[in-house]
Amino acid sequence: MRKYAVIYRSVLMENMQYVMNIFMGFISYFMFIFVFIHLWNYMYSSPGELISGYTREQMIWYTMITEMMWFGAGSGTVSRQAAKDIRSGNIAYLMNKPYHYTLYILAKHAGEWSIQLPMYAVLATVMGITMVGSLPDFHAITLLAVIPCIILGITINAVFKLCISLISFWIEDSNPFQWLYDKLLLIVGTIFPIEIFPAQMQPFLKLTPIYTVCYGPAKLIVDFDMGKCVEILVVQIIYLAAGCSLMFFIYGKGGKKLYVNGG
Amino acid sequence: MLTAVKNQVRVCVLSIKYNIMREMLNKVTFLTNICFMALNNAAFIIQWVILFHLKKDIGGYTMKEVMLLWGLAASTFGLACILFDRAFSLPDLIISGKLDAYLVMPKNVLLSVITSSTNTSAIGDFLYGILVMCIFSFSVGRFFLFLLFSAIGAVIITAFALMMGSLSFWFVRAELFGDNMVNCMISFATYPDGIFHGKVRFLLYNIIPVGMAVYQPVHIMMRFDLGSLLTVLGYAILISAAAVFVFYRGLRRYSSSSLMAARM
Repeated sequence: MRKYAVIYRSVLMENMQYVMNIFMGFISYFMFIFVFIHLWNYMYSSPGELISGYTREQMIWYTMITEMMWFGAGSGTVSRQAAKDIRSGNIAYLMNKPYHYTLYILAKHAGEWSIQLPMYAVLATVMGITMVGSLPDFHAITLLAVIPCIILGITINAVFKLCISLISFWIEDSNPFQWLYDKLLLIVGTIFPIEIFPAQMQPFLKLTPIYTVCYGPAKLIVDFDMGKCVEILVVQIIYLAAGCSLMFFIYGKGGKKLYVNGG
Repeated sequence: MLTAVKNQVRVCVLSIKYNIMREMLNKVTFLTNICFMALNNAAFIIQWVILFHLKKDIGGYTMKEVMLLWGLAASTFGLACILFDRAFSLPDLIISGKLDAYLVMPKNVLLSVITSSTNTSAIGDFLYGILVMCIFSFSVGRFFLFLLFSAIGAVIITAFALMMGSLSFWFVRAELFGDNMVNCMISFATYPDGIFHGKVRFLLYNIIPVGMAVYQPVHIMMRFDLGSLLTVLGYAILISAAAVFVFYRGLRRYSSSSLMAARM
């Protein structure tokens, strides 16, 4: 594990040199949230109205938190870089190093979001308090339970995105599959909480990565419940184990194909 | 003069044609990119079905009008990225000194640059836009207006991207700012303008030109008005002239990186 800690630390130090670049990304986040604040302000006719059990403040905060995770854990390394390494043949030089390529990519990704995510969290908090109002019934102590959920959610997302990137061993461009996965997360879990969908669909949606990647952590922040927190953590651990198994399996199969093709 | 223009147009058309042919070398990837981009856009229909289930009218738009808005936004951005994709990655050429190859060409520098690449997935955007328009609000007149506004919108968006990209001639990290502004334009373009008020509305119709590229054309397609059509056309000419001016002013500051590269 020490070698991955070294990779993590070096990427972290490297990213600290480019903090200004992260600030530039704030513009997109600000605009995106700005649109949603206007949209939800329009959708809620009166201040006390509830939509699928969410007040206006809860709904906007939910979107702000899921988008904070989306922007803060930018997935360029697990999607674009991994796919590019495979397509360009660069992976032939990376896979014979004394580390597992997939874990190397995950360590790099963690080094990136460790800087970005806290910065986006501060931005989200400032925007939320000034433009929406504080979150009702929120207690800072609950963050101790929610932060592990957020970290697990980001890691699960990275593992699944890396699995999709590894498809590049078989097809030239895995980007189209990334788009579909991203849209599934964005529309079903990021923009809306699961409760907004028809009751018949909700059990099915809870089986998808949406529940563990974005809905779970955001739901716990806007409406914390200890039982729900334990349930989400358990599901996240199961998902992470399944996702990692799938990732190692695809990588193992793909690596053999690379050997046949000569890189 | 007319022959020179004709030749220039011919060069641009050939450039775009060869870009597409190059992308078509791998047919599976080419088709996958197009189909999945269309599917990617179609996923947003779910979002609007849910929102219209909550409220029958959103910012003065019905489902049919939102789909027309989405269709026009997709086809406008699609067409811009099919024809002038390089305008969206201009900072990369400026920063890495790759403009040299275009400066020595005997044709117009700006047109040679912006037509030098095509985004395959943008074909999916363009086709999706037309399909959505045909499904949700087809009429012969509206169809031709849709094509006209797709072309005008593509010019407006390209001009805006060109201006943002040209900032890299002057400023460091301007590429990040420019990318963000273009992304903002896309974000705003897919939501009804009726939900924005006051200064934001002014911003959308003047500074970020999404109002003239997408919102106003949708209003015209729903209720035709010649005056508004001419306003959009005039705006497109004005912003294009401004973009050309900014690009050539910036080009004076460009310095080569002595990069040796072959364009094939």
